[in-house]
Parts: sequence; structure tokens; C-alpha cells
Amino acid sequence: MDVFGSFSLLLAFVCAVYAFVGGIAAIKTRHPLLIKSTRQAGMAACVLIFLATISLEYLFFSDNFSMAYVVSHSNRDLSTFYKIAALWSGQEGSLLFWSTLLSIYILSVLIAYRNKNGELMPYVGVVLAGVQIFFLTLNNFVENPFKTLATVGASGLLEPFTRMDGNGLNPLLQYPEMVIHPPNLYSGYTGFTIPFAFALAALLARYPGEKWIHLTRKWTMIAWCFQSIGIMLGAHWAYAVLGWGGYWGWDPVENASLLPWLTGTAFLHSVMMQEKRGMMKVWNVWLVFCTFLLCILGTFLTRSGVVSSVHAFANSQIGPWFVGFILLTLAVCFTAYFKNRDYLKSENQLDSMVSRESSFLFNNLLFLVACIAVLSGTLFPVFSEWFTNNRISVGAPFFNKIMVPIGLAILFLTGVGPLLAWRKTSADSMKRNFGWPLIAGLIAAVLFFIAGYHEPASLLCFFLCFFVFWTVVLEFYRGAKVISARTGMDMMMSAHELAMRNTRRYGGYIVHFGMVLVFIGIAGVPFNKDVQKTMNIGDSMKLGPYTLSLQSADTKVEKNYTAQRMIVEVLEGKDQKQIMMLYPEKRQFQGNEQAAGTMVAIYSTLRQDLYVVYAGMDPDTNMPVIHAFLNPLVKWIWLGGVWVVMGTLLALMPNRRTTLVLAGAPEPAAAPAAAPALTPSATLREGHD
Amino acid sequence: MRLSNAVIPSEARDVLFVRRRTKRTASLAVLLAFAIGSLWTTQLAAQSERAKQVGMHIKCMCKGCDMTAGGCAHPGGAFSGPCDSAKAELRQIDDLLAQGKSEQQIIDAFVAQYGTIAYVEPPKHGFGLVAWIMPFFYFLLGLALVVFIVRKWAMRPAAASSAAPPSHNEVLDRARAQAARETED
Repeated sequence: MDVFGSFSLLLAFVCAVYAFVGGIAAIKTRHPLLIKSTRQAGMAACVLIFLATISLEYLFFSDNFSMAYVVSHSNRDLSTFYKIAALWSGQEGSLLFWSTLLSIYILSVLIAYRNKNGELMPYVGVVLAGVQIFFLTLNNFVENPFKTLATVGASGLLEPFTRMDGNGLNPLLQYPEMVIHPPNLYSGYTGFTIPFAFALAALLARYPGEKWIHLTRKWTMIAWCFQSIGIMLGAHWAYAVLGWGGYWGWDPVENASLLPWLTGTAFLHSVMMQEKRGMMKVWNVWLVFCTFLLCILGTFLTRSGVVSSVHAFANSQIGPWFVGFILLTLAVCFTAYFKNRDYLKSENQLDSMVSRESSFLFNNLLFLVACIAVLSGTLFPVFSEWFTNNRISVGAPFFNKIMVPIGLAILFLTGVGPLLAWRKTSADSMKRNFGWPLIAGLIAAVLFFIAGYHEPASLLCFFLCFFVFWTVVLEFYRGAKVISARTGMDMMMSAHELAMRNTRRYGGYIVHFGMVLVFIGIAGVPFNKDVQKTMNIGDSMKLGPYTLSLQSADTKVEKNYTAQRMIVEVLEGKDQKQIMMLYPEKRQFQGNEQAAGTMVAIYSTLRQDLYVVYAGMDPDTNMPVIHAFLNPLVKWIWLGGVWVVMGTLLALMPNRRTTLVLAGAPEPAAAPAAAPALTPSATLREGHD
Repeated sequence: MRLSNAVIPSEARDVLFVRRRTKRTASLAVLLAFAIGSLWTTQLAAQSERAKQVGMHIKCMCKGCDMTAGGCAHPGGAFSGPCDSAKAELRQIDDLLAQGKSEQQIIDAFVAQYGTIAYVEPPKHGFGLVAWIMPFFYFLLGLALVVFIVRKWAMRPAAASSAAPPSHNEVLDRARAQAARETED
């Protein structure tokens, strides 16, 4: 099976090269048969990559310990569930997995557009094949996952040999979320290849800017959705498994996932400028180019180890390949842009600084500055080592200081932007749109202050969150009221109808609402408390309103690990009301004696999380150590993530029917309250905003 | 393995709580000594909490966790932190605090000992200043660019309609017609 997998990969490489070279020839000659054959070669490359991936999974499931990659990342007792995840737990498998997910996208595009966009698709096929060739080069010639174990035999020649068992999967990865987090994140990374390919293809084919945006709208949203889910799952995994009480540590790998998400989010906003007003065409093309390059850079940072040390770059086999690919891609993008930039001219004008257009510009500015801040902070240790020979570490406190004001400014624009009119917003309109949200924000800030949240940045965040929340509510309310007045439906049904008529716009508002919930959760961070205590059975400790009592401890023997489990009773309040039992664990996995896994026990409420870690036995006293955290508002982050995904899914749905254009329509006499419908924010417009 | 009181040394006591021993026969001197001891312990506990706070600004030097000395949870380790390295650093911070050193002096002492790798955030001087300035520099640069672009757009001749922007460029017209011919949605 290893030979089959290896051969499939090699054949996929050949097919991708043919799709690339033949595709260029097809563009030049426009020969229909050549176009068809290169498209089919692209499809064949995708299928062959699937076969290679299935082969590797088969080797995991069949416990083939003659394979170096299987030995390093699996063992006989590893459950089936985690044998799937073992595929992407190491360098070689991760890169193969990248190729696989990219293939799914490429195959979908090639099939979906096989009879459409005849002139554009050969360009798209060439760009996609180019990206595929790069990853297949790594898969075949640099980090091949199908290497077999060998030893020097009696004859002095290398002979294959098989180990009895493998080293097992990294304990930190043996958690259900780790089976779904990387596929989501990688689907985000790879998904941005599609808008990149269409943008570059449209530029090479000299199409005006709007065409590629129209074609790739949904692909971009799908990639963004996967990236968002991946980031959220990664944060939840860090929270539930690593046992440090937090969910985001500004680790280089976390930052790498955030970078394309930030530029991708900027793109999803600025693309509306192009669609509605024919502006920012150059900017959008470069945003997509940058997002794709940041996906590649993120993969490079994650896999090369360059951030842990600049010297890792020299030692890393893949480092120079990635740098070469990034430089080559940049060169192609610059060449295509300078050659065909005349086709990306903006066509409209702007009347005022206080307008939807300028809010999009500021939105993009903030997302880009956030991206640069995260990127420069992540790479700063490398830069400092290059320039001064002294490596200066950059940790969470730096990122928190820089990113909090940027995040709050973005949150502010989340509320303001959608309520500004295109071209120019009048003072009256601003008063009407922002009055209630401002009052709601102020009331919320006062209530949170009374509740004991006295940190200024958090209070500002609460104020902005409720401000944005009310702007979203008012948008739904005003729109629903118009529909209700016209159709007689109740407000809930009207709101539903409204959302279904313009899914993209109202899906976007739901995403904004989700982000508000995420920000509420983040605003709780300054109020985290923790206590760590060496406890005897029967001992207790207090944390906030809770009393934790260590009742007993036991040992759980499972197939692949042995867990030492603490049984902790949680009591609440002065009357010591029993709430629940928590069971934090420490797991020791077979084949990985050096590393241990932590299973945190969490009692989660909307107000706060009681987060209990069994840290292990105190080396000095040989007694169990319990580390308990009280983390306010964390649950809101996960709820926010769910809303973000739901909003994106809504935005991906087709509009139920042609959107009514009510602007200027006579108001029904029976519904004078529908007057706000004539304001720019509440008017149901054609298309998307 | 089942943990029970039997396997845990009964004489071991939590470091945060000192159980008072009350014996009727205790002399005044012993009580006095105990009181002084309690005071010292309380001071030490407070100092350790302060050490943890200062330790939040100094990196754990174990090279295995990439966390701070004060917040080391050492993920993946047999003991979820602080690891031995972080403990040693916290003890060292305690000593330096006892000597009356300020937070910045302690950070400087660690940087002198371990190099700039001990920083958790770049120093606001020398090359470290670049890290702090860069985001603000790009923000100001971007802001200037946005203002410039908005003004440039505002100076353009007004378009007839925003919903259906007219093209003013033959090249674009031709390209748009070509794109419409060659693609379908």
C-alpha cells in the first residue's frame, strides 16, 4: 500500500505539471481538446492525491509499523478515531493533508465550472495547478510520508525492518476537537486558494474587477467560515486541554491562523465597495493575493519552526521551498498587476467622509493594521535575531496591549459602518440611527460597572458590544416592521422573511452579533482569578463564590492511557449548596511516557467558568495539586462562534426571491411607523450590502 | 492506584495555611516566636504572590513551554506547572524583591542573566522599540492613505447613478463586454 500511495503521489505530480504546462499552451492556442485534456489532468491529480491519502490512512489502520510516519504518530492501541487524526499530526502528513483539501476545492471548481466561463477557466486551472505543483513537490521530494524504516543489514546494505509498535500520537492531540480542528483550519487555508486563483486568472485574462468577485463570492465565504470554525475550535482545544486557564496565548501557530482571517475579513467587507460602487478594485485584488500569501506564510511558520529559532529555518527542509514559492507568487502577482492594472480602475466618486464607503476604508485599515501588528510581533524575534544577534521574545502582554485598542476600534466600526448611508450620511440620519444604541451601550456599561467590572477597557468593550447589538436589532426591527406592515405577518416571521430575502446582508448582521458575543467574552479576561493548592483528601479551598472540596481520587485504565482522576465537589455560596462534582484528570499515554495529557473539568455558566485542573502530584510533598480558575464570561465566546458560523451559513444561502426595492415607494397609510424604512440603513436594496 | 490518606503523608501541610498549634503548656516565648513566624510566613506568601505578578513579565526559561515564569502551566508536562525552571525563577524573583528591587530592575537582572530571550514583551528602548512603533507607524501611514484616497474620490466627477455605475473608459467597456460573453454565472 505504501508503494501504491507513493506512486499515486508521483503520478499526481505528473498530472499537475501537465495541467499547468498544457494549460498555458491551451490559453495560447485556445485548442478545445487541449483545454479539455488539461482540465481532466487537473481532476486526475486531485483523485490521485485522494488515493495517496487513503493509502496512508490504510497504513495507520493496518498498524503498518514498517512505515516511518506511522511509527512516529501511532501505536496499536490508538483508537480508530485518533488514527484518522494521526494523518495530520506530523510534518509529512500535514502537507499531504493540505494537498488533499486543496484537491477537494480544485475538483469542486473544475467540476462546477466545467461547462461555464470557457475563456477564464484555463487561466484558473493553470493557477490552481501551479499551487498544486508546489505542494506535490513537497509531498513527493521533500517530506514524503511514505518512507519505510530501514536498518543496515549484515551485508552492509540497508534492509527494511518493522517495529513491533509505534511511538503513539502526541497526547495533546488525543482530544476529540483535535480531530476536527485541523481539517477546518486547513480547509480555511486551502479555501482561499480559489478566490486567489480567480483573481489572478481574471487579471491575466484582462477582465474588469467585478467578474471574479462575483464568481468567487461563495468560495471566499466558505473558506472564511472554515477558518473561523478552525480558530474557534483551536481556542476551545487550548482551553479544555492545555490546562493553563486561557484560550488564546498569541502563540505563533495561533497567530498564523489569525493572519489570513484578518485579511479575509477585510476582503469580505471591501468587496461590497466594489460590487455596489465599482471602487477598490485594485485593493480587493491585492487583499486576496495577500490573504493567499498569508495562508502559505502561516503554513510555513507553523511547519518550518522558523519562529522558535531563526536557525530552524536553515535546518528546516521545507523553509527555503516556502520562501521560494512565496517570492515566486509575489513576482507573478506583481507582473500580472502591472501589466493589466488598467482593467482595475475605480469608477465612482465619494461625497463625504461620513459615508459607508469611508467606513469600509477605515474598517480595512484597522484589519490590515491588526494583521501587520500580529505579523510583526510574531516575526519580531526572528528580525531581532537577524539584526542584533539577540533574540527578543514577544509574548501575550505585547499583543494584548497592541490588539485591544485595534479590536475596540473594529468593534466600534461594526456598529457604525452598517448604519451609514452610501455616499453621504446626514446628521438627522445619524441621530436617528445611533441614539438608541448609544443609550443602550451606556446603560450596559453602567450595569457592568455596578456588577463589579471596573476595568476601563472592559467597560468600553461592554459599551461598544451593546451599542453594536442594538444597531443590529434596530436593523432587523425596522426591516421587519416594513414587511410586517405590507404582509400582515408578525414581527418574528417578518424578521425571518427579511433575512431570507437578503441572506448576505442579514447573515452579515448575525455574524456581527456573534462577534459581539465573542467580544463580551474577551472583555472578561481582566477579571480572571486563580488559586493553586496542594490538597489532601477532604481538604477544601475557596474561589469566588465556590468552595472546592477534594473528595477522593481514583485511577481509570483505558486501552491507550491510564488516567489519574480527582473527584472534586463544588459547593456554592454561604450556605454551601452542592452544585456538582468535577473530575479533572491527568492522563499518561502508552508509548509517550515523557508527556502527559490534561483533561480539565469545567463548570460553565453564562456568568463565569469554574475551571479545575488536576496539575499532578506535587514533587515536593507527593500530594495532589489542584489549580482552579474563575474565568468570567468565557461561555459567550463559544456561543459567539456558533452565531458567526450560523450567520455565514445564512449568507451562503440564496435569496428567497428578488429583493424588493422599497426606496421611494409610497408608504402605506396604515403604517406610518414604517417611515424609517426610507432611511438608507433600513431600505431594502437590490443586491448585497 | 487509589489515593487515600494512607499514601499521603499526614504531616504534610498546605503551604498557604499554617495550622496553629495551641498547647496549654506553651510558654510566652514560644507564642511570641510563633507570632513572629506567622508574620514572616504571611509576608513570604504576599511576596510570592508579588513574585508571580512580576514573573508574568519574565519568560519561563525551560524552553519547553514558551510561557511566563509567573503563568507557567507547562502543557504536556507530568506536572501542569509551574515547572522546575519557573519555580527557580520565582524563587529568584522573591529574593530580588526581598532585596528591594523594582519590577524593572528584576526584569533587567533576568535579561542580564539569560539574554533578551527572557523578555515577554520587547523593551521600549533600542531595537525593541521598533516592535512597539511598527503598528502605530503603519496605522498612521494607512490613515494618511485613507484620507488621501477619500479626498481623491471626492474630487472625481459625480456619477449619474450609484446602482449602475457608468464606465468612462473604453478599455473597461470592451473588457466588460468580453467578460460577459465569456463567462456565465
